[in-house]
Amino acid sequence: MRREILIGRLIGCISLLTVVSGPAFAQVELGGTYAIRMHEDYIERGPGSFLGDFTGMPLSDEGRAKALRYSSSLPSTIERQCLAQSPWVGLYRPLALRIWSEVDESGRVVAWVMAGDYLRDHVRIWMDGRPHPSANAWHSPSGFTTGHWEGDTLVARTTHVKTAWIRRGVGIPGSDQSTFTVFITRRENLLTIMTVQEDPIYLTEPHVVSRVWEFDPRASQGPLRDTCNVGVEIPSLEDTGEVPHYLPGQNPEEDFMVRIYNIPKEAAMGYAQTLYPEYRKTLRSVYKPPESCGRYCCGWIERQGLPGAAPGLTCNDGNLPPALRKTLTATER
Amino acid sequence: MGRIFSSVIAWDRYAARCANFVLDVTRIAVLGARSAPKRHWRPAKRSAVMSMGGVAWLAFVASLPAIDVAAQTRGARGGTASARADAPIDLTGQWVAIISEDWRWRMITPPKGDIVSIPLSLQGQQSAEAWDPARDEAAGEQCKAYGAPGLMRGPIRMRISWQDDNTLKLETDYGIQTRLLRFGAAAPPGPRSWQGATSAQWIVRGGGGRGAPRYGSLKTITSNLRPGYLRKNGVPYSERALFTEHWDVHSLPNGDKYLVNTNVVEDPVYLQAPFQTAIHYKLERDTSKWDPTPCDARF
Repeated sequence: MRREILIGRLIGCISLLTVVSGPAFAQVELGGTYAIRMHEDYIERGPGSFLGDFTGMPLSDEGRAKALRYSSSLPSTIERQCLAQSPWVGLYRPLALRIWSEVDESGRVVAWVMAGDYLRDHVRIWMDGRPHPSANAWHSPSGFTTGHWEGDTLVARTTHVKTAWIRRGVGIPGSDQSTFTVFITRRENLLTIMTVQEDPIYLTEPHVVSRVWEFDPRASQGPLRDTCNVGVEIPSLEDTGEVPHYLPGQNPEEDFMVRIYNIPKEAAMGYAQTLYPEYRKTLRSVYKPPESCGRYCCGWIERQGLPGAAPGLTCNDGNLPPALRKTLTATER
Repeated sequence: MGRIFSSVIAWDRYAARCANFVLDVTRIAVLGARSAPKRHWRPAKRSAVMSMGGVAWLAFVASLPAIDVAAQTRGARGGTASARADAPIDLTGQWVAIISEDWRWRMITPPKGDIVSIPLSLQGQQSAEAWDPARDEAAGEQCKAYGAPGLMRGPIRMRISWQDDNTLKLETDYGIQTRLLRFGAAAPPGPRSWQGATSAQWIVRGGGGRGAPRYGSLKTITSNLRPGYLRKNGVPYSERALFTEHWDVHSLPNGDKYLVNTNVVEDPVYLQAPFQTAIHYKLERDTSKWDPTPCDARF
């Protein structure tokens, strides 16, 4: 009897100390604000992609056809004004990121919340082990996301999203059947987020994107960017029922990348095989670099040093209107 | 209030008794029965306050995982067999870059003067504007875009393997380059090269004495670089550039593995701020697409 009591005490006490001593894998504190680093895909995340630029995308025929129907006036229809905001659209946008945790009464993290340049809703990553809803459940603007830790990486999975555009300003679609596996890792002051988007409708293989932010308590997210407000942008469209679009084969920008950058149409149109090194064999015989860079050549510099950052150089700033140039100059100063 | 205070005292006493009990059992297990005090297993008569020795022992037991982690994050050989034996992740295999970002600047050579995204200094911009591939070819420097900071963003396949127990070898088919990631003692100083000298360190999490899984990443720092290009069209980095990389491996439920290289290029000459990017690669089971191709200054 005495032996059983001792064994029971031993088990109970070891359990207690195990809890008290903490888990072997301490979670990383992700909370804080992170400044964007636009050192990749500046044009896509800043001014917005060129129409007809689907490079780097593994689009299905359906996805390509839908993207080519896109008109720049389409987002002005009230029903589509929030379509640019998928849960992880922050990876395609130019502002900072803010992360905080939500805890229960015992201090345990129930969810990590991510906000930033996302104009529809926060992304809440549930950490309490709750299951994903039924496949028939409502799809919300931010989707449903759960997470767990693998070492220093928070692994999240998002389902139940709404139809959205994957890239800004170019109409590349993502269906409501999209799922995202997301890896969030903080290494020293750098935060890396990699998303793997799978979409059985509009993608032929997962679309992978990895981005970097840097911890910065002063990082600005801009004014109240967490909601998507809709309103009439083009009065002539109001109550007309018109949906701006291009019929198949009639998009005037379908050949934009061919005309401006000498890129083969197949590469511009986003076929999966164009994402891999062996595609260079195809490119080698058909690609000739343009004589000069036509637009958005300086990017980062033009914002940092206007005016006169590089006197006498040929760097093209994208033909910024004088008024905008003046505004940016004042802002930077 | 009084009831709460009593509860706290009771909990404190129970925890102290419990700790003493476990400490004694642990002592016996580790040091043998003779180490057990005579008052062993009579917690009811003990003080609620542990001895200093007990506190120290408890701290040791409770911190075993932390000690384990701390020891291993020292990386290198850390007193254990080798970096290969210590590896918390498996980087070996053939990885292919997925060019889903910056396609126009990575898959092909962009036009001269296209320096968008890179935080060049004025001097850097002037250097990029002066890019002349014919001059590079004439100087035998057609590999300037294949130095480590530029190479990793290229359309590459890379094979990573252990050259020896403390050296990872990274080979690329694109430009036929080889870089050695050395753990432990620094490599002897030599002439500057496209791949420079890379020191490596495992960052280990978990793997405590309780059979818990180990996770981690690799951190490398590359210096002693020969001046080269961050982008094929002559966007420069100087010999003073420092290239820091964090290597993480992530798995999907279907077994697909991705390598993410989060990296920072610092260059006081040609950059006005650190150039920070994350590059992703996918593990290939089929290695048949390995295609060694020499450096090319133009395409």
